[in-house]
Amino acid sequence: MNTEKQLTRRESIKKLLRIWSGLSLGGTAVLSLQRPRPSLAAGDAPKFLVDGVGRTEGYSVNALTRKIFEAVGGMGKFVSKGDVVAIKPNISWARAPHLAATTNPEVLEAVIELCQEAGAKKVRIVDHTIHGAKRCFAVTGAGMVAKNTGADLVHPRSSLMRDMKLGGNRLDVWPVFKPVVEADTLINLPVAKVHGLSGLTLGMKNWIGAVGGRRNALHQDIHQTIVDLEHFFKPDIILIDATRVMIRNGPSGGSTADVAIMNRLILSNDPVAADARAARLFDKKPERIGFIQLGQKQGLGVYDTAISRHLEVAV
Amino acid sequence: MKIRHLVWLRRCSQAFFLLLFLFLVVESRLPQDYYLDYTQLISGEKELRLEQPVTFFFQADPLVWITSLISGHVLIKGFGWSLAVLILTLVFGRVFCGFICPLGTLHHLVSYFRPALTGRRLIKANQKTNSRKIKYFILILLLVSALFGLNFSGILDPIAFFYRSLALAVLPGAGIGIKEIFDFLARTDIKVLNYLSYTAEVLVSPVFGYGYQAFKTGWLIGTIFLLILFLNRIRPRFWCRTLCPLGALLGIFSRFSILGLSKKTDLCTQCDRCKKVCAGAAGPIPGDAWQKSECLMCLNCHNTCPEDAVAFKLRSPFGDAGTDMGRRAVLGGLTAGVALPFFSRLDGQIHTVSSPNLIRPPGALPERVFLTLCQRCGLCMKACPTNVINPALTEGGLAGFWTPNLIMIQGYCEYTCTLCGSVCPTGAIADISAREKIEEPVRIGSAYFDRGRCLPWSGNGPCIVCEEHCPTSPKAIYFYEDTVRGPAGTRVRVKLPQVDLKKCVGCGICENKCIVKGRPAIRVIAAGESRSVRNQILL
Repeated sequence: MNTEKQLTRRESIKKLLRIWSGLSLGGTAVLSLQRPRPSLAAGDAPKFLVDGVGRTEGYSVNALTRKIFEAVGGMGKFVSKGDVVAIKPNISWARAPHLAATTNPEVLEAVIELCQEAGAKKVRIVDHTIHGAKRCFAVTGAGMVAKNTGADLVHPRSSLMRDMKLGGNRLDVWPVFKPVVEADTLINLPVAKVHGLSGLTLGMKNWIGAVGGRRNALHQDIHQTIVDLEHFFKPDIILIDATRVMIRNGPSGGSTADVAIMNRLILSNDPVAADARAARLFDKKPERIGFIQLGQKQGLGVYDTAISRHLEVAV
Repeated sequence: MKIRHLVWLRRCSQAFFLLLFLFLVVESRLPQDYYLDYTQLISGEKELRLEQPVTFFFQADPLVWITSLISGHVLIKGFGWSLAVLILTLVFGRVFCGFICPLGTLHHLVSYFRPALTGRRLIKANQKTNSRKIKYFILILLLVSALFGLNFSGILDPIAFFYRSLALAVLPGAGIGIKEIFDFLARTDIKVLNYLSYTAEVLVSPVFGYGYQAFKTGWLIGTIFLLILFLNRIRPRFWCRTLCPLGALLGIFSRFSILGLSKKTDLCTQCDRCKKVCAGAAGPIPGDAWQKSECLMCLNCHNTCPEDAVAFKLRSPFGDAGTDMGRRAVLGGLTAGVALPFFSRLDGQIHTVSSPNLIRPPGALPERVFLTLCQRCGLCMKACPTNVINPALTEGGLAGFWTPNLIMIQGYCEYTCTLCGSVCPTGAIADISAREKIEEPVRIGSAYFDRGRCLPWSGNGPCIVCEEHCPTSPKAIYFYEDTVRGPAGTRVRVKLPQVDLKKCVGCGICENKCIVKGRPAIRVIAAGESRSVRNQILL
């Protein structure tokens, strides 16, 4: 019946070995990737800082988010047609949204919608979570946002971590969560909260959630490593969510007693200014927060008071 | 209905239940669909739970039901299914073994697809031997020992055995292999291979997840599984005939079933074909006595006989040979069953000492009760989203072999997660809600510092990772600022972390995230666990 010559065991092993050696040769080339995209924030784009305030009772967070972007000319200024947009929220803790440990899902949803309306080809939600990603996605509401908007929720995993040259003062080569840098536009969407070591967790610190490796070691020189990471990632725009903020027990919180309602959003293209502005919400002087002060000194940006185009919108 | 149809009905039924079993094993993890309605999670109305009834096969396993009943004095959830199986056995014999049991089906497949034995040797292997009595010995040992407070039936119960082997050895083993290939492809700088790896990883993630799973004694579980499969080369369905305690139990219950093998000696030509296909060595040929309790109800003999000399027919429940357990098996089982529970307490785990490393899942019952119920099936370990629950090797002593044990360097107990209790088939881990877990609180141990390793305490620099991750509110880890001696006599100003035992629940995320790996600078021990009265620290 079967007249064809069958592959013997020996032959098939040989064949497999040949394929294997071919693959391994292909894999030996190691590249250190530099972020390929020119950054708006780093260039000469005029700097701005917008405060969004929700004044009315039961205001719409979505409307406030839209209004804050309109104030600087709309999302179209940052996202072009056909762009791949990476949004880095802080959804690192498996905590329900009202506990303020994570970015407000309503803000996240509004920003994704704005990107899509501006013609983005693909919007990715990227965060290397601290708690299990599946649980974080479910509990923080990010999963539901992704479902409602059709954005990609990228599950962090070892195959997406890549050693990259950061070239910072403290960090040289470090594993980076690849989808964060493989985008045309990068939006930083942190939540404002307190932190035991750095004082506050704001926009710049959010990048610790975009790297892999032994990132818990970063705490040994937290301010410089935060600044190094900000230097590397350079987001196009930063929107700090302070609709409700965690005022104690940060960064994980876990109780509504730790939360204060502030109804604020802060939008800027200057990472230092955005963080400095947010620090004042906690009644803290930006110069007293290590990474803000260091960021200003090392040329990442300027304090909020030094920005001439300081606007305020309210709903 | 012709017998040929019935054999096909058996095959379809076997395929269905085997696939259902595999499906439920795969589904024993957080739903792949992240898109829950979080508004319900906020109000605490909804817990994260599995979507599929993953404990179904345990509910349909009479051995699990009976041992839980006589040992822990509880009726497990869904025991109606095992009642149904028992009634089915009372009427039709061991049809569970022939039609339903997924492990039996696997043995069936292994035995018949590439049989090691053929011809006369196969006929010889299918002869009745005394080794069949081993399973009665095992059954009696398990039942008696369960009666005296040590329920370890799950070690040899086919459902628990198969589940554990798949969930803790086969699947994670395959997963690690696949994941390594993905990581390798992703590291290459060939775009096509990168995309291939990402896409394939997403495609297989419902089965294997995204990470590397580890189970501490997985190698042992896997080895035993392979060994048991290999035994099919000595005799077809070796396990079912010789070892399976559930088979033995159903064998006893089949004593008065009304479906029997009728033999017509005058038609038989002694061609031995029925003996060749009989997986149970139940003496199908006319002339031999049919062993009702050994018959797996596979219907092969009836299907094979060219002369129609043997046929399954409904008939009087009396008249067939009784279950021959063997006196030695019964006495041996009784003796060992009485001795083992007390031997197992010689290590003092229950009465005098508490092993610091025996950290049980949240909601686990007090150790003595826990050991009367835990099936060691591995469901909680498979379902645990952080992979912290492992099968114990020595941590729980002899009695606690393969029971769930939390290893914090491998994972941590998620503060708001109570999945392990919700999937436990016997309730050895209580089904608590996240609210109960947090508000009571349910402590599984307590953390302490190893100051020699801790960066701030040893003067090696600032670090607050444990405090940052501490999930309680207010945090169980707090600081005070002080100056400590650093290397070369320097003085370093640092925040020194300390544990507030009143607040610590022992979740172990501090140990897991500590920058000192392997033996972290902060570790969790079982002391302070709320399930034990003896093991409390504070007044």
